Amino acid sequence: MGATFVVVLREGFEAALLLGIVYAYLAQLGHSESRRWVTLGGALALVASVAMGVAVSFLSGPLADFGPDVIAVGVIFVAVVLLTWHGWWMGRHARELRGEVQRRIDEAHATQRLWMVGLIAFTGVFREGAETVLFLWGLMTQLEDVTGWTALAGGAAGLAGAGILGWLVFQGGRRLSIRRFFTATSVLLLFLAAGLFSAGVGRLQGLGVLPGGDALWDTSWLLDDHGPLGGFLAGLIGYRARPSALEVAAYGLYIVGAGLLFFPGLIQRRARGVARPVETSRV
Amino acid sequence: MRLIARSMLALLLVLAGAAVAVAQDKPQEIAVTIQNNRFTPEEIKVKAGKPFVLVVTNKDAKPEEFESKELRIEKVIPAGKTASIRVRALKPGTYPFFGEFNPKTAQGRIVAE
Repeated sequence: MGATFVVVLREGFEAALLLGIVYAYLAQLGHSESRRWVTLGGALALVASVAMGVAVSFLSGPLADFGPDVIAVGVIFVAVVLLTWHGWWMGRHARELRGEVQRRIDEAHATQRLWMVGLIAFTGVFREGAETVLFLWGLMTQLEDVTGWTALAGGAAGLAGAGILGWLVFQGGRRLSIRRFFTATSVLLLFLAAGLFSAGVGRLQGLGVLPGGDALWDTSWLLDDHGPLGGFLAGLIGYRARPSALEVAAYGLYIVGAGLLFFPGLIQRRARGVARPVETSRV
Repeated sequence: MRLIARSMLALLLVLAGAAVAVAQDKPQEIAVTIQNNRFTPEEIKVKAGKPFVLVVTNKDAKPEEFESKELRIEKVIPAGKTASIRVRALKPGTYPFFGEFNPKTAQGRIVAE
């Protein structure tokens, strides 16, 4: 029961985190009525996950072998692009979001971005969705004896645990002041996206599309990424005990590049004295 | 907005191209079986410097995920199914793998020499 709990919790954790942030984000912007887009994105991802699970179970041949790998890598990079854009948008608008002004983000703006919030929900859920579906489905075919039922209970508890985590993020997120919320989620999304980007590069190395793949260093003696804490950090900030050189480079480049996009204030402070025209916000 | 759509399209094309390239050459195939939450063989010897393909058959009645952090592989294999997993050319050394759904028992390693 413990093992299945951990597996499902780990698979569901990232999706729950992203959903919690995105729901809190809409609440912060005063667009709670738009939650249905997020829910729709998540629900469609669930359908897609089941479809992929069924496809993997019943199809065979080269397409069934490599198709899911290509889709998995594609979803990772699409998620990175979306999160980067989202972080960039939040960075640009963080300055407008002070006190009373925070509710004045215009409607058009928000409506234009809704499909994207839904897409983030979709990629977040779909990324680990197919695996989780297959895993839980496997548990359900094992219900002849008591261990099968306890395993299924563990899986269900893991799913519930991930849900509670997401709910806590949502509740905590919407109680923060909007400035703090934007800063906190920008930092969180920066590391999350850097971890995803580096994981995507690693998967391409694993598939032999990108060269290299040997470990640059090994910190598994200090913190193993198979363990509970290491696994948690792997999902949250992309911790790897034995990263390849390309993974490290990808991670570093992403943090620097996207960091400048997410926190435009960092450059501005350096270029103090230069008058900046007020940006017209158009996405 | 258009930039993002374009970059996503470009990305998909690159991935599709990579998939086609990957599917073309024919490296050595090595059979691995999963049964009773264990891998057979648990130790796989391969030649260093040559990519190869693991053909993993899951004989258990539930899915298993073949995973290796070192090799950057994650592959779910449904009950009773066989999946091919491409592995890059390895430097001499030992590369552990495990079954993510049964990590206590399902453990193995690839020894490249």
